Amino acid sequence: MTLTGRAQTATQPSLPARQSTPAPSSPPSVPAPIPFNRRVIVLDPAHGGIDSGSQISDTTLEKDVTLALAFRLRSLLTARGFTVVMTRDADSAAEPDAAGSALTLDDRAGVANHAHAAACLLLHATGSGNGVHLYSSELDAAEGQPTIVPWLTAQAAWVPQSQLLEKQFAKAFTRSGVTLVASSASVRPLDSLTCPALVIELAPAGDKEDSINDTDYQQRVALSIAGALLFWQNQVQPPARLSTASSAAANQTTAGEQP
Amino acid sequence: MIQRHQRIVFWCLVLCIVGMGVLLAVERQRGRERIEALAADQTPLDAPTATAETVTLDLANDDDGTITPASRQIALPEEANARARALIEHLIAEYALPGSPHTLPPGSAVAEVFFVPLPLVGYTTDPSSSATKDGGFRSTEPVAANDPDPLQPKQPGGELAVIDLRSTFVNQHPSGVEVESLTLRSILGTLHANLPQIEQVRFLVDGQARETLAGHADLLRTYPVTDTTSSANRANEGQSN
Repeated sequence: MTLTGRAQTATQPSLPARQSTPAPSSPPSVPAPIPFNRRVIVLDPAHGGIDSGSQISDTTLEKDVTLALAFRLRSLLTARGFTVVMTRDADSAAEPDAAGSALTLDDRAGVANHAHAAACLLLHATGSGNGVHLYSSELDAAEGQPTIVPWLTAQAAWVPQSQLLEKQFAKAFTRSGVTLVASSASVRPLDSLTCPALVIELAPAGDKEDSINDTDYQQRVALSIAGALLFWQNQVQPPARLSTASSAAANQTTAGEQP
Repeated sequence: MIQRHQRIVFWCLVLCIVGMGVLLAVERQRGRERIEALAADQTPLDAPTATAETVTLDLANDDDGTITPASRQIALPEEANARARALIEHLIAEYALPGSPHTLPPGSAVAEVFFVPLPLVGYTTDPSSSATKDGGFRSTEPVAANDPDPLQPKQPGGELAVIDLRSTFVNQHPSGVEVESLTLRSILGTLHANLPQIEQVRFLVDGQARETLAGHADLLRTYPVTDTTSSANRANEGQSN
């Protein structure tokens, strides 16, 4: 696991539950708000190590493109005052204290969820199609986040925010003249994330597959994302946390959405 | 001079050879008649109907990420499982044609399609019954599965289709979020358009559960069968915003 190390110490302006002690007379059923860091962004460059992802061209692997895009994004976001958490910043995603063992997809979701970020971006790349492909979760939106979050449908409470973020990105890419396809998809570990989360799949700029490595093109895409996130940090709102009784009902409902 | 007993042995051998030849010819003729009789009566189990019918294939396009319905005249079998399998095979065959906007490898993609009636029902032992004296199981009784939503049919007669894909197809499938999602949505949309009794779909590969199609699209979840062309409308909204 490779973290910037700043996520854990980031300021948490929207944590009233930790800043004030609830009065003894307050009703016990009112749940604490969800911890949330407006200035933390999680970047997950997909694949890595022995998992090279798709073979985009004879000399280009998906894992290398996603890492290159993540580095560009990290520089731009850090310059704009964000704290960036990356699930890997080398070829392989590995836990530093576990003898180099590779992170699973669920481990990556765990890293993202602990950051309580304003946005979690799963970066992918492909040789088919053109421009940028944006995907939000296919889960049905839930009213709020239950106390005990079901792992396979954790994203359900955040789906409305993810869809808003998708629209923000769509506007930014359209302004930049980047070809865009926006839809929803089931890509692990998207549905296990407790943050506004999107899959961003980078496709070649033109007909040639190697154009995906064009530095100007990647920079234009990264600038669009960074610009959209600058607006997003003031708009994002975490979902309400459901009370214990509501959580039980929500858990029973969402447990069936995925086996 | 040839002795008498040698002549007797010689003619006996000639007689045996002629007899065996006649026997062989008769048996061969009988075998031929048997095969011809079988061929005259045998009808293929999954023979397509004589007349082609109009079906809707939801075709994917990698360039704009859309799925658009297209009508085709195809002869399909009567039986529902074979019908679903034939539909998917025709769909994949379209993608294998030169110039297809969603290129997939040629060849058979589906090993089998199984239908399971909804709601899914399991069996449990009846705690009130006693085990048999010879150590047999207690009596069993059907119970509804514990999942409330996805395992219930939306309409009476709703079914779960389990599509067993061939690994030869899956291993050659192009890798990418868009291209994999489009393949799945295309299959789901085509089934929705032609077999309305299918409400949910699960995918297997060579009879086993597999995490992803080609590294991205989730194959472990149960997919609701819906009109996937509506997703294309949503993509257009995203582009216009």
